[in-house]
Amino acid sequence: MVWQTIWGQIVDLSLVAVLLRLMTPILLASLGGLISDIGGVINIGLEGLMLMSAFTSIAVGSSTGNWAVGVLAGVATSVLISYGMGFFSLKMKVDIIITGFAVNIFGSGFTIFLMSKIYGMTGNYSPTGAPRIPVVNIPFIEDIPVLGKLLSGHSLMVWIALLSVAFCMFLIYRTPYGVHLRSVGEAPYAAQSLGIPAKRIQYSALAWSGAFAGLAGAFMSNGLTNMFVKDMTAGTGFLALAVVLLGNRNPIGILLGSLIFGLASALATIVQTVPNSPIPSQFIQMIPYVVTIAALVFFALRNKRRLATMP
Amino acid sequence: MKSSKALFLEVGGILAAVVTALICGFVVILLTSSEPFTAISALLLDPLSSTFNIGTILNKAVPLILTGLALSVVFQSGVFSMGAEGQLYIGAFVGALAAVYLPAMSPWIHFPLVIVCALLGGALFGMIPGVLKAYLNANEIVTTLMLNFVAILTTSYFVNNQLKAASGGGYAKMENISKDILLPKIFPGMAAHAGIIIAVVAVIIVYLLMYKTSIGYELRLVGKNGHFARYGGIATRKVIVVSVMISGALAGLAGIVEVLGIHGTFKENFSASLGFDGIIIALLARNHPVGVLIAALFYAYIQVGAQTMQFGSDMPREVAVIIQVMLVLLVSAQAIFTYIKQRYARSGQKAVK
Repeated sequence: MVWQTIWGQIVDLSLVAVLLRLMTPILLASLGGLISDIGGVINIGLEGLMLMSAFTSIAVGSSTGNWAVGVLAGVATSVLISYGMGFFSLKMKVDIIITGFAVNIFGSGFTIFLMSKIYGMTGNYSPTGAPRIPVVNIPFIEDIPVLGKLLSGHSLMVWIALLSVAFCMFLIYRTPYGVHLRSVGEAPYAAQSLGIPAKRIQYSALAWSGAFAGLAGAFMSNGLTNMFVKDMTAGTGFLALAVVLLGNRNPIGILLGSLIFGLASALATIVQTVPNSPIPSQFIQMIPYVVTIAALVFFALRNKRRLATMP
Repeated sequence: MKSSKALFLEVGGILAAVVTALICGFVVILLTSSEPFTAISALLLDPLSSTFNIGTILNKAVPLILTGLALSVVFQSGVFSMGAEGQLYIGAFVGALAAVYLPAMSPWIHFPLVIVCALLGGALFGMIPGVLKAYLNANEIVTTLMLNFVAILTTSYFVNNQLKAASGGGYAKMENISKDILLPKIFPGMAAHAGIIIAVVAVIIVYLLMYKTSIGYELRLVGKNGHFARYGGIATRKVIVVSVMISGALAGLAGIVEVLGIHGTFKENFSASLGFDGIIIALLARNHPVGVLIAALFYAYIQVGAQTMQFGSDMPREVAVIIQVMLVLLVSAQAIFTYIKQRYARSGQKAVK
């Protein structure tokens, strides 16, 4: 029963569409995590940033009637909070992990606070007729049997996410900024002694991670669904952290990691919707976490061997 | 050993941070509430207005004290574990298994057995990230966060399937635990259950362990300076694993006490981030067991206050989040504490002149 459903969805390519849709927030958030990680300011507050952006984006989007304004407002909020993180961690010397932890509590609680203060709702807010991030239908290609289904009809944010991978590759490996970013992450004092403004670079790394987490959050409320539900990110921000390590801290690896995680959550969704499934959905949901731990062990073993073989 | 003046400054700084965080919360209430003074008084005074509310504060403080202790132990050894949530679930789960499925026996044997099972469950689950960290240098923040999900999903699977209570009324939980081994109320008519006694005993034990035994000494030394500790002949890896296991055992204890004191059986997703609240407690307490006791009581007071405020005014209880976040950030702001100490040092020099 489950197998037939999964097979059916593979054959008619709807699994691909679901996979891309579920992969997008993970991919965007982990690209954000990647840039902050490379800059040496690990942002574990992605979850909180996404929630803040998701709420702002649907609130502003539905009140202005324009999805783009909503998304921009969501991203702006997220970037703003990231600067706040920078202030606390770089200026007030709060450990960056603790800062991110605080942002997670803040994002979860403050969105519920706003929702109940502004809209009088406690569980979810689903405005009628809120605009959604549009779907891209590519003319001509959409009529070609297989190709049409593969390439056309995806949300604009799916394409933005895929382009972001290329953008991050370029930013990190092909620009002077990327070199500065990597050097600050590797050895901040050495970088500073060469005249690189380490603090400013780290602020900007946090801002980038805020921007990408913002896009991810906005997509969750304005694209994947059309509402805000409390704690709707449900661990995506933590998954993103895992993807950064699973992808061995480079954009292509992160794309692959996001695909694996997207596939796992697509399968979990199918298994949950099919009645009397023989495979427990909890174990499919668990795949990404177990894979991440396995990958961490693998990388650690490899590093150890490398160190051991060094003269 | 810290001098008493340095300790005084540290405590003063923390108190100042607490007051500032409260003021931030008040400002938000003043700005958004139509009846701010009712809200503030409901937040601050109502928790102490009845014995029932005081009992609720104690009940809320119990798991916070235990998870706070769990994290303070592991933080002292320099490991930034975020895994108390998962260890709490596994400990509670294993303990509840022993409570429900062991053959009938005297509660005087059964109860300690349940506690020991919970301690072991938490400790063994904590061992996983500990070993990964100590021997493979795998990032403990990520492994513990991932293992939290593994623990929550695994226990959720079992209480939704094999171990689901027939009489659960659609809820995913185990069969009810026998009344004989549930934690009794301390005083009849008061909400507080005997978990608070367990928590206070745990504070004393952890204090003795950390400051009066060689294990505690080695643990703190590894946290202060790992290289120095290894140079001094301490098996740092073993110490790290031991510290995460002690932490896991305490988190497991928090889980089983919550099950035996509040829920009466293991329920799916019962914790609602108690393990993460423990991080805040440990930070507030500067990882000191006695501090944990005070911080947990204060934190529980604010939580109950948030509830009474939601009940007694137009403010949702999530306002407390502002206070929590500011607390976390201000208390861990090293810049502020360094500044305080430098000022102190300067004024000290003046006194010498």
